[in-house]
Amino acid sequence: MDLELLIKDVLATDESPPAEGLSSDRRRSRAAILQWVGGKVARLCILLVAVSVGSFLLVEASPIDPVAAYVGAEVLNIGPDQRAQIEARWGLDDPAPTRFFRWAGQALRGNLGTSMIYNAPVAEVIRTRFAASLGLMALAWLLTGVFGFGLGIIAGSRPGSRVDRGVRWWVYTLASAPTFWIGLILLYVFAVSLQWAPVCCAGPIGADPSTVGFGDRLHHMLLPAITLAIVGVGSIALHTREQVVTFLHGDAAVFARAQGERGWGLVRHHLLRNAAVPALLLQFASLSELFGGAILAETVFSYPGLGQATAAAGIRGDVPLLLGIVLAATVFVYAGNLIGDVAHRVADPRVSLLPAARA
Amino acid sequence: MRKFFSLGLVSLAVLAGCSSGGGGDGAATSGESGTPAELRLAIAGESEDGYDPTLGWGRYGSPLFQSTLLRRDADLKVVNDLATAHKVSPDGLLWTVDIRTDASFTDGTPVTAEDVAYTFTKASESGGLTDVTVLDTAKAVDTDTVELKLKKPQSTFVNRLVTLGIVPKHAHNEGYARNPIGSGPYKLLRWDEGQQLVVEANTAYYGQKPAFGRIVFLFTEEDASLALANAGDIHIAAVAQSLATTQIPGMKLVSVDSVDNRGMMLPAAPAEGKTTDKGYPIGNAVTSTLAIRQAVNVAVDRNALVAGVLDGHGSPAIGPVDGLPWFEEDSAVVDNDLEKARKILADGGWADTDGDGIVELNGQAARFTLLYPATDTTRQGLAVSAGDMIRKSGVDVNVEGKSWDEIETRMHTDAVLFGWGSHDQTEMYNLYHSSFAGKEFFNTGYYRSQPVDGYLDLAMGATDSAEANVFWKAAQFDNKGAGFTARADAAWAWLVNLDHTYYVSDCLDVGKTQVEPHGHGYPITAGITSWTWSC
Repeated sequence: MDLELLIKDVLATDESPPAEGLSSDRRRSRAAILQWVGGKVARLCILLVAVSVGSFLLVEASPIDPVAAYVGAEVLNIGPDQRAQIEARWGLDDPAPTRFFRWAGQALRGNLGTSMIYNAPVAEVIRTRFAASLGLMALAWLLTGVFGFGLGIIAGSRPGSRVDRGVRWWVYTLASAPTFWIGLILLYVFAVSLQWAPVCCAGPIGADPSTVGFGDRLHHMLLPAITLAIVGVGSIALHTREQVVTFLHGDAAVFARAQGERGWGLVRHHLLRNAAVPALLLQFASLSELFGGAILAETVFSYPGLGQATAAAGIRGDVPLLLGIVLAATVFVYAGNLIGDVAHRVADPRVSLLPAARA
Repeated sequence: MRKFFSLGLVSLAVLAGCSSGGGGDGAATSGESGTPAELRLAIAGESEDGYDPTLGWGRYGSPLFQSTLLRRDADLKVVNDLATAHKVSPDGLLWTVDIRTDASFTDGTPVTAEDVAYTFTKASESGGLTDVTVLDTAKAVDTDTVELKLKKPQSTFVNRLVTLGIVPKHAHNEGYARNPIGSGPYKLLRWDEGQQLVVEANTAYYGQKPAFGRIVFLFTEEDASLALANAGDIHIAAVAQSLATTQIPGMKLVSVDSVDNRGMMLPAAPAEGKTTDKGYPIGNAVTSTLAIRQAVNVAVDRNALVAGVLDGHGSPAIGPVDGLPWFEEDSAVVDNDLEKARKILADGGWADTDGDGIVELNGQAARFTLLYPATDTTRQGLAVSAGDMIRKSGVDVNVEGKSWDEIETRMHTDAVLFGWGSHDQTEMYNLYHSSFAGKEFFNTGYYRSQPVDGYLDLAMGATDSAEANVFWKAAQFDNKGAGFTARADAAWAWLVNLDHTYYVSDCLDVGKTQVEPHGHGYPITAGITSWTWSC
């Protein structure tokens, strides 16, 4: 976080006269920053507690029996004694509250437990899988933002035109198409039929991931990223379009036109910044959808990311892993929204980050 | 969703077969003669919790990194591997195994009886997918002899000697599952979890040296495997029967027999209003009568099920262990015989008194419900088709697709379309022994037969496998009127065995394959060390 930015922000919203002196001003701004950071951290903590309790209750209420999921078709070869040993290994022989508080106590000390499915520390599973997903999600996120914003500007600049109707039709169609379906279509056209893109995986078959070059990585990530982007583009494009249309009918646009601004100049000097505000907020808020979409895209393209692990943890009742992923996702999405807030403030100086200072 | 994927890609694959002509610059069509440096297999089988035999790795197929005391050859006969000999004491409690002295782990240390004893002890204590709980103690008598003492006689313990890979006592620590060290034909080069496993031949392996120096196992979904096969990127793709409908240039379709069976469990307990300790109802007034169960077995046309539902990729099922060394061939009945079915029903007192086409006995119409897991389209096809066949004989079948959770609550009172299949006789014991009635998914129908219990116990207590097989066979049908198969008690109506279908490179010879257990894909690796390249 850019500290200078925050200080400016606080100064801007500080209603006290500057005559009071710089030192007290600084003190107050520092206090305000601390208050802001403290508030955000406290909220995150409350959120994390609520999310973990809620997720645990949901998993407990679900009919999934992790032992049955683990045993699978081996059920006839696993006797009752062996089943008891499996339950003991996973600590499932205790009642639910005991298990939750044991997990929570360990989690507070930084130990997220051991994944039942992967037989490895949860933190490690999340780290390795998230590293694979991160590149994919970042690329998809970038593509979504750039194309969504671009389409919105193009459509909104000439509302009602053929281009506008075309863009809207295209966006509505894609927004209502399921991710995995888009993935399958792309897979068929570009991987199976044209053979431009690989069918699967995060790197060439048999290759050592640490020696796979950036180009190869990008090549393998492109189709799943485009799949995610295609589905995600809709909301940003439509919101941007709305904003553009509103702006062009507003006083600011009339004033700018009166000053002689036309066409690209109007767009560049006046419209972009205004239209960017909802796009930015949406873009950062869309991290949660990205997370969800990645699960499907990774399944279709056999991409070994966090999505695969999340699906497995849910289907097979791997409580420690599921809770770990939920916590990580919460922090991820929360951070996204926070960055969105700050970016919003940068794009639009009228907005304050400090609700308290406004009063 | 999976179904959608599959259907989607079937058509995609068909199109791809036509349009791309199977070009591809992948490994499968490298054009050069001679064995490829790297074999690429998309046959699933990733062990998500790692490659530790004491947690269940190596239950079927090749354990790759480790070697086992015994193994099953292509005919499923037990032969020596690490062991040079083994004998069982007359009371069946003490198993003495001599091991070879020329085997060493990939870190250079020799495999000793100490390691064997450690492996068995560890496996008996750990909560994994291999059940060694019958082991009391394992002790190394000298460097090449180990004594395994059991809590009770158990002839099926031989399967643990067949499946349990030996781990080095000195290197078996927390990280072992991800860094396995063993005395098997291959050693782990790299495991990119969720994506691929790369293994390399162990040059110090004592057994038959594999022809392929490097193997990549790709953990793709079947649809992606099929696409990879079409692109010429892989040498074997395991695909479901329903996907094995296209020609892939440069590859042949290999259909492997299996005991991956599907059959109808018919509750044998009468409906007396009893419930299990979880409160689930027990018993069925219709299927508890012998005549109904026998008629059902005779009425279904298993060949038609194979042709219609499995597209020919399967075989009619006689019992739960078809084609295995302990299979009783005399237990087969002639099916697709409606006349015989009606006669059995009439002899049992069932008659259609109200003219609705359904027979009755003492006011009870011959009508039962058959449940199948709703997500499984193959089982759906089998259940619906079998229901139609049975209905023609005068027994009405109400076919319902449900979730496993709901099936679990009704599986003691309604017929269920189950699927099993294992190289371990324990499965047959658990399915039919009365002591397992109502326990887990074992004997869900509360089938109870004194002679069958007796045969199963004798088989379990036998001290050599030939003797055990005699009793395993008798439990199916003893030629004196007892047995759980269709000729006697007809506790189940077994329907079909699935074939496991693989697209295999024209150049790759996988030799004679075992009759595979439940689970399609990885089991084909059982003979991996004898695979050869013919181009």
